[in-house]
Amino acid sequence: MSTITLHDTHNHDDHAHGHHKETFLTKYVFSQDHKMIAKQFLITGIIMAVIAMGLSILFRLQLAWPDKSFPILETFLGKWAEGGRIRPDFYLALVTIHGTIMVFFVLTAGLSGTFSNLLIPLQIGARDMASPFLNMLSYWFFFSACVIMMGSFFIQTGPASAGWTVYPPLSALPKAIDGSGLGMTMWLISMILFVASSLMGGINYVSTVLNMRTKGMDLWKMPLTIWAFFLTAILGILSFPVLVAGVVLLIFDRSFGTSFYLSDIVIGTQVLPNEGGSPILWQHLFWFLGHPEVYIVIMPALGISSEVISVNARKPIFGYHAMVYSLIGITILSFIVWGHHMFVTGMNPLLGGVFMITTLIIAVPSAVKTFNYLATLWRGNIRFTPAMLFAIGLVSFFISGGLTGIFLGNASLDINLHDTYFVVAHFHLVMGSAAIFGMLAGVYHWFPKMFGRMMNDKLAYLHFWVTFVCAYLVFFPLHFLGLDGVPRRYYAFTEFEFMQKWVTVNVFVTWAAIVAALAQVAFLFNFFYSIFKGKKAPQNPWESNTLEWTTPVEHLHGNWPGEIPTVYRWPYDYSKPGAEEDFIPQTVPFSKTMSSNMPHDFEGNAESERIQNEWNLKQQKLEDAKQD
Amino acid sequence: MVHTLKEEDLNTGTRAKKFIVWLFVVSSTIMFGGWTSYYIVFAASKGKGHGLVLPDVFMYSTAVLICSSICLFLASRALRNGDQIKQKAFLGLTLLLGLTFGYLQFDAWSSLYHSGAVLVNNNAAISLIYVVSGMHLLHILAGLCLIGYTFYGASSNVSEDRQRFRMEVSSIFWHFIDILWIYLYVFLLLNS
Repeated sequence: MSTITLHDTHNHDDHAHGHHKETFLTKYVFSQDHKMIAKQFLITGIIMAVIAMGLSILFRLQLAWPDKSFPILETFLGKWAEGGRIRPDFYLALVTIHGTIMVFFVLTAGLSGTFSNLLIPLQIGARDMASPFLNMLSYWFFFSACVIMMGSFFIQTGPASAGWTVYPPLSALPKAIDGSGLGMTMWLISMILFVASSLMGGINYVSTVLNMRTKGMDLWKMPLTIWAFFLTAILGILSFPVLVAGVVLLIFDRSFGTSFYLSDIVIGTQVLPNEGGSPILWQHLFWFLGHPEVYIVIMPALGISSEVISVNARKPIFGYHAMVYSLIGITILSFIVWGHHMFVTGMNPLLGGVFMITTLIIAVPSAVKTFNYLATLWRGNIRFTPAMLFAIGLVSFFISGGLTGIFLGNASLDINLHDTYFVVAHFHLVMGSAAIFGMLAGVYHWFPKMFGRMMNDKLAYLHFWVTFVCAYLVFFPLHFLGLDGVPRRYYAFTEFEFMQKWVTVNVFVTWAAIVAALAQVAFLFNFFYSIFKGKKAPQNPWESNTLEWTTPVEHLHGNWPGEIPTVYRWPYDYSKPGAEEDFIPQTVPFSKTMSSNMPHDFEGNAESERIQNEWNLKQQKLEDAKQD
Repeated sequence: MVHTLKEEDLNTGTRAKKFIVWLFVVSSTIMFGGWTSYYIVFAASKGKGHGLVLPDVFMYSTAVLICSSICLFLASRALRNGDQIKQKAFLGLTLLLGLTFGYLQFDAWSSLYHSGAVLVNNNAAISLIYVVSGMHLLHILAGLCLIGYTFYGASSNVSEDRQRFRMEVSSIFWHFIDILWIYLYVFLLLNS
């Protein structure tokens, strides 16, 4: 029987993927294997993250030492840093591209692209994605988007400089600033490619989760990672098209002279003919994507930490259903809160009140998740693996960044805090650091699955502690700047008298940022060194329950050499009383774990309950006989 | 055994791929939803819509598009009945009507243009007519490619399973862009 099954799957593989021999090009470059595509996304994401981090160090230098000249900058940046000082327009380009890369390329494509691709087929028990071809296309669209975005650094007028939200009229008028010229056009082209990539990915993830689960894997047996990726993909499908709609209108305004967002504008002494448009409409379209986008960023990270925390606390995740319903709640609510980005646009106060209420309601599912993480940790048999530390780090950032969200969600408080460093501090903690830590937790946890080798623990601990401490040192002080009214995106705000006192804090923050950046070298070295020279990984290094650890360490197309395993139980049977080991993989049937089965495991199946009761009675008799 | 395993797998595969088309339909609907909500908010805040009598050509093009949908429906029925000649004929007709629709849209733009309602306009609602009908036309182009592909499949030696799959995919897509156009047209009529 088993030989027949093996033979079957071989047959199947050739058919499903349509090729027999793999060349270098089909295996590493134009691969249609979800595991390879995941690695492509991850490595591209890491490279983009390093670039964006480098950009942030550049503008932090300017903020800390606005009067000092760094001749080395001129060597590398040429006319962007004439005399060793960052030029004001280049400063704006730096913050714009830093934000764009981090939000879209690292935390959307790098995070979802990597882990949805790697884990969805592996954890639901599928041989590959619904459409491997579309999946491959998704990566290459993403890659082209990255290349075009980076290409804008090499043009005469420089990259887009209107902030990552590219508000018109600044972004809509090529003549307004240098950055709104060709750089802005490249930004828009890059974003359209990126959205196409995200949509191809997201559509694939949703279809795979709904149609290709293995036998026994009903929705309530899916790991929380899959729930998170699934709902994230739905968010993307429902929100990214609106960004495209907005971007198309912006392109028409820029290149064809329409007036969708423009009205009554004078540049220098020249009166522009555009009339009747409204820049506020861009903000509506942008934030209708923009707000779900921050949940697209954080939800996969939350899913990853659910899994990592449960595995390493050796406890079932606390409140599995509540976790899922919170994710669903966040997904729905995220579509009706975009107006809280626009409290100061002259919005009707009543409408502001509505957006304020919906915004504050999001605190409920977020708090449910936070408390569930803490309750899972509570009295767990915790293994402080690097992944676990990063997952706990995520919880920490999610709490400290989330609290300031309650301030900003208040329409009246937001009038003071809008566009200050308070906002910068808030979102860098709650979605920046938290999501990055979730992503790093995922990298450390699934590295053995991706590359068949282990990462070095000592370097990982060094990486964690320095990054964790420095992230707080960088972002915590910024709250106080914001409360004092320091506006974001200013080139040299310490030139203003009332803000001069903050220059020392800026110096401190910049040093913390530099140390944090240096700590990433430990990660980068660890990552790339371990791919080739790391310790060989066992099949299930973390003693985890989910399906991906039942595949062989050596990757093969189709994931499982034989039949796809059947799933019998939920993924969180850790430390189950009566079980021989502290974990029971999803593929172990209840008939093999008679000593640890609970009444609710059978979900009302009378026959199974009867068998279990008989077994219990027999055990009881044996015990009694022993005692006699 | 070999047979059933493979078949089961192929079935999940095509089901999942068809689902992908549906999800594309959803996201595309939302994109057009973005533009029409722009229109609604714009018109509400300015107190004016496009204020035009839409050219009659739009009415003809709508009729042509509906006819093409009917033809496609007949083609897929012919495929079910195993009537290859009829299937190809109706597919060809769908292609032809699709191209006619494209021509009529250009015609409508030209009559809009001659009536003074040009793309570069201080009334963004008028510009939006061009944008939505233009983006819809891009969808028509994609749909024509799909139908061409199905037509090619019907004329060459492609297995019946594949043929049926292609037919279903192009049907979902083509009927969707048909309904989408009707929505856009009615929307523009009602919000003048």
